[in-house]
Amino acid sequence: MDASAPAGRLTLAAPAATVAFRHLAALWVQITGTLCNLQCLHCINASGPREPWLPPLDAATARRHITEAAALGVKEIYFTGGEPFMHPEIMELLAFALERAPTTVLTNGTLITGATADALVALAGAARYSLEIRVSLDDPDRRRNDAIRGRGAFERALRAIVRLDARGLLPILTATETEAAVDDDRYARLRALLLEAGVRKPRVKMLPLFPVGRAAGRGGGTVTTEMLAAVDPARLQCSETRAVAAGGVYVCPILSGLPEARMEGATLADTLVPNRVDHPACLVCWQTGSSCRNA
Amino acid sequence: MTVLSEPRAFRRIAVFGGVYSNAHALAATLADVRRRDVDAVFCLGDLGGFGPHPDRVFPLLRDAGVRAIQGNYDLAVAEGHADCGCGYTDPRDNHFARLSYAYTLAHTATENRRWMAALPGHRRLRLGGLEALLCHGSPRAISEFLWESTTPDGLISRLLDDARAQLILCTHSGIKWHRRLPDGRHLVNVGVIGRPENDGTSGVWYTLLTAEPGRDLDVDFVPVAYDHETVAKEMDAEGLPPEFSETVRTGWWTTCLEVLPGRERARGRF
Repeated sequence: MDASAPAGRLTLAAPAATVAFRHLAALWVQITGTLCNLQCLHCINASGPREPWLPPLDAATARRHITEAAALGVKEIYFTGGEPFMHPEIMELLAFALERAPTTVLTNGTLITGATADALVALAGAARYSLEIRVSLDDPDRRRNDAIRGRGAFERALRAIVRLDARGLLPILTATETEAAVDDDRYARLRALLLEAGVRKPRVKMLPLFPVGRAAGRGGGTVTTEMLAAVDPARLQCSETRAVAAGGVYVCPILSGLPEARMEGATLADTLVPNRVDHPACLVCWQTGSSCRNA
Repeated sequence: MTVLSEPRAFRRIAVFGGVYSNAHALAATLADVRRRDVDAVFCLGDLGGFGPHPDRVFPLLRDAGVRAIQGNYDLAVAEGHADCGCGYTDPRDNHFARLSYAYTLAHTATENRRWMAALPGHRRLRLGGLEALLCHGSPRAISEFLWESTTPDGLISRLLDDARAQLILCTHSGIKWHRRLPDGRHLVNVGVIGRPENDGTSGVWYTLLTAEPGRDLDVDFVPVAYDHETVAKEMDAEGLPPEFSETVRTGWWTTCLEVLPGRERARGRF
């Protein structure tokens, strides 16, 4: 969709389109900031192993926000980064979150050893609510996957998926598309990859490519007030989500950590107010109705 | 969305969801309910989808005086939406959802579509001393899934506060469960009668709720056996996907698995 003004006509900048907040369905905790042991070419927050631009979140701040989110009636808690399993207190934080709400970890899988898989299974078994592990693997072709995610990433992610599945904690393979549109064929091929690897209950989640972080400049545009009026506001995940990271609370997990996406307020409740949707990545949410949540 | 309020308080009610065009299961459920001394019978929506001959459930519901609300399927069929509104992203799930929806839409009489269009979105009633809200998915969204493993106490408390109720009754997900909060309020997912609940048995479940003075709410999940083989044969004869009749025969879900949380998915075969 081309939302720009017709050529040759001068227009005054319209006020940014805003989305009303409905309810807090998901709280994202960017626990390791942008610290990661991989450095994927399309990473939405340009995470990597050296000098993360966004530092990890301290455990006390994470606990405070999770407690507040639970009191506000949050439905799900998500841990992301960076790579969450690089956080020294990740297992304790997962246990803390699981006492309050169903919890999901987004990981590249490389640090899920047999012992970590055992610990996660024990945690899930003892928990009141569901623990979900989402393992990122973008392409069923090993060579193409590793060209994006780094050498060995395919093998290590698949090993983590098989390890967890074998223990009955059914992981969700999460793939990012190379385009803003999601390709059904890739979905089917990823499912086939899992079945071939012996995964009996394959679960696949696809996400479009967002023009932010290392993929900045790859598509996008501006969502206008008129465009917003044409869709159900519930289609946009910012109407039901917030992300906490070093520096404060941010509008959504895609834009977490960016100064322009920071919400004002001392508490999480203060940030449950209308937000702007004028980042180029917002157009992808508007177009696809995609949500970063599990389902 | 319309909300219909019942004028008088009830002592015992029967509630079910998800008929899914399964007239045989509905008839067996209503026969069971007749023996239970209930004040009223409620259906929380999703009359069509999945099963054969969608029109056959409507006379049964009307003759038994079942008080229904609209499910997402009923809303979609009544208004001729493009899909059922379950929001699948897995192309395999979408493929089956489309087949089911196209069949139901093509085989539902205009008169029954009008009847579904006129159903309220919510109902309110008093059960003993409890103010109850009846909804399809959740009080806030017709297509929201409330699964046992992914519905935290804090959310239930919030939904009850917002609904100004002490009891929420819902369906939509297809698997029954009940949570009593420490403060004595309740959320009950009453389950569905049109499809087994992914436990490897062919039976289905409805819910009896009884509020006796001076006692906590009694929530009883009632199993119903019915002639599932006949339904499976009718589905096959109608050209519905064999994956659907397999579920009726075996009790295991074969499609639309994407929406299941890990814990509920782990209990099934697929």
